[in-house]
Amino acid sequence: MATAAETGQNIGHVTQVIGSTFDVEFSEQHLPAIYNAVNIKSTHKGIDLNLSGEVQQHLGGGRVRCVALGSTDGMMRGQECIDTGAPVSVPVGEATLGRVFNLLGDPVDGAGSVEAEERWPIHRPAPAISELSTSTELFETGIKVIDLLTPFVRGGKAGLFGGAGLGKTVILTELIARIASSHGGYSVFAGVGERTREGTDLWLEMQDAKIGDTGRSVIEQTCMVFGQMNEPPGARLRVALSALTMAEYFRDTTGKDTLLFVDNIFRFSQAGSEVSALLGRMPSAVGYQPTLATEMGALQERIASTDKGAITSVQAVYVPADDPTDPAPATAFGQLDAFLYLERSISEKGIYPAVDPLASSSRILDPQYVGDRHYGIARRVQTILQRYRELQDIIAILGVDELSEEDRQIVHRARRIERFLSQPFLVAEVFTGKPGEITSLEDTIRSFEEICDGKWDHLPEQAFMYVGAVEQAEEQAKKMEANA
Amino acid sequence: MANARALDKRRKSIKNIRKITRTMELIATARFKQAMDRASAATAYTDRITGLVANLSNTGLELSHPLLKPHDQQNSAVQLVLTSNRGLCGGYNGNVLRSAGENRQKLTEQFPEVRFEVSGKRGVTYFEHRQTPIEETFLQFEDKPKYEDVEQIADRYLEAYATGKIDRLDVCYTKFLSIARQQATVETLLPLGTLVDADDAQAEKENSNTFGSNNTIEFLPSAETILEEVVPMSFKVKLFKCFLDAAVSEQVARMVAMKSATENADELIRELSMTYNRARQGQITGELLEVMGGVEALKN
Repeated sequence: MATAAETGQNIGHVTQVIGSTFDVEFSEQHLPAIYNAVNIKSTHKGIDLNLSGEVQQHLGGGRVRCVALGSTDGMMRGQECIDTGAPVSVPVGEATLGRVFNLLGDPVDGAGSVEAEERWPIHRPAPAISELSTSTELFETGIKVIDLLTPFVRGGKAGLFGGAGLGKTVILTELIARIASSHGGYSVFAGVGERTREGTDLWLEMQDAKIGDTGRSVIEQTCMVFGQMNEPPGARLRVALSALTMAEYFRDTTGKDTLLFVDNIFRFSQAGSEVSALLGRMPSAVGYQPTLATEMGALQERIASTDKGAITSVQAVYVPADDPTDPAPATAFGQLDAFLYLERSISEKGIYPAVDPLASSSRILDPQYVGDRHYGIARRVQTILQRYRELQDIIAILGVDELSEEDRQIVHRARRIERFLSQPFLVAEVFTGKPGEITSLEDTIRSFEEICDGKWDHLPEQAFMYVGAVEQAEEQAKKMEANA
Repeated sequence: MANARALDKRRKSIKNIRKITRTMELIATARFKQAMDRASAATAYTDRITGLVANLSNTGLELSHPLLKPHDQQNSAVQLVLTSNRGLCGGYNGNVLRSAGENRQKLTEQFPEVRFEVSGKRGVTYFEHRQTPIEETFLQFEDKPKYEDVEQIADRYLEAYATGKIDRLDVCYTKFLSIARQQATVETLLPLGTLVDADDAQAEKENSNTFGSNNTIEFLPSAETILEEVVPMSFKVKLFKCFLDAAVSEQVARMVAMKSATENADELIRELSMTYNRARQGQITGELLEVMGGVEALKN
């Protein structure tokens, strides 16, 4: 039997396979370190097996427990397992642009191998406190509800929370279409445990979309990393790190603003919970892994802007059973600068994006950062909607007629504001039949101010659906009148 | 949705609302009966008056009275809007105020000056909110309007009309057609126009039997003197009927509104109870699962 001394490699043998985890026995003197990658390459009865794993635990007696980063189909006890001596590493740098990878950094777009000068390990320390830069610059998206109520931070983190089918992925692709196409720096997209089809769609769309007037497609400035639903939990657990590592390289070496899109960070927690029990950890609240907060923290802390460069990230977070108190989304909440909460009752009204204007917020929605006018109007809009929500039970029981004149006016405006928060999307043009609207922040603020002041009380509610600035609502009202 | 405590709190508050609406429903039902009795008692009187007038008109005399004729100068109109003092009566006030608003537009086309006089707090706050000036407000009318009170108002109008201060009086109120139907209507009471309108014509026919043949009645001292008395009386009675109708309609509207409100509340309570139970059950299941999972994990 080959030993480490003979081949220069540290080789062990598989002793146990439990679902997507497996145990390997090495010699006591040459135990691979935690997070080291191990490879299994074998051909048995004509079946090729090429699997990577990551060491998670030292069990004692020379045995280590690993998480499989691929399918464990065809594995058996006794197979040789090589310790690579280092964590999984991925290619980084300009060579990765325009390409699609899996979590191991292997290209999966069928365009040949990637000649990267450097490979970086996916496990890296988060930037030190002294290196962090705190930015409070507003990042304009041209989406009314976001710019007004949950302004994104340049170099900050934004989360899209929502239950199944509320349009998280649509908003995320919309943001890519809006931001990445007008953005000079690099973008990294991480597909974590979502539909493979959506990933393909996005990839094709990025090839078509052009950056500004340069004639170059968005994909040329973007690299994508996928570990979708079909992958085993180990892959979904690490793919976010792979993508993040590529983004970190751009931040640290090029100094350009880097965008990181993650769809969906919940799948990362979910994958962790899938392997947690197999690793022998006691389940914690709602069956999640006890290390939920640690894992999330380790990932999120690395998505940070430093004095070398900035990473602006947008993450979709699935909310299981529409319950935001579920531990997985709840741990993600605290990590973000801006969060949008998508509400089912709003999507049921046909209002998209279905952002709940009262549950969503942003760290920089503060007069200090966005200015008194913006802050004041955002708060006024929220106050009106809050009052409307409080009155809703009364309206349901007694009817609108029982409200006082002031309350009736609030309801009147709230219903208009509610509809005005919808907006046609660039990526949804084929569905809505309306061209996407990019509304400038100034237009957004002015429009909402005028609605709050009652300047547009005379327009019918329906006129406020799917328009940009408020003048378009007026036009739409005229058109509706002409058709009626 | 999963917050059981918040759901329970909401359910409690809706239960409180339901208690109020249910009570109001019962009160309105009782008051409706009273108001209805008063209205029907008054109807007997008004029917007599109209019957008398009908007889007068059948004498073939040339009926002429200043209250019957429109003024040559059409300068100022008064709109009297009858609303309720209390809320919780559904669309009752809204309908009256809407028809008042429509009528106002019509009046402003004819008259350079249109003034509002409002009875009922609800109407007053409505016009105050719209910053429409109100000439006079009456808040003393509850569910039992008194004839004496109405007469005072009526006398004032009669005098104002006679002296040419007002050229038209429109009353916006809810007409009580039947228990199932009330309608917000606008009636022009001054000038009185014809003494016998379509509704009263019906009454006249019925009454003609009681009075027997018209020609047999003799008027003393003369038909004209009786007319002097009867025309203002007829106006007062009509105005009083408006008030009575409004009062009855208000109670009916409240009854109906509170009934549906109670039903709505029941519906909401049922739905909330369901979500609450589900949330509570979910919480229990979750906790059980956690405990059992922990036990299982400790075994290994």
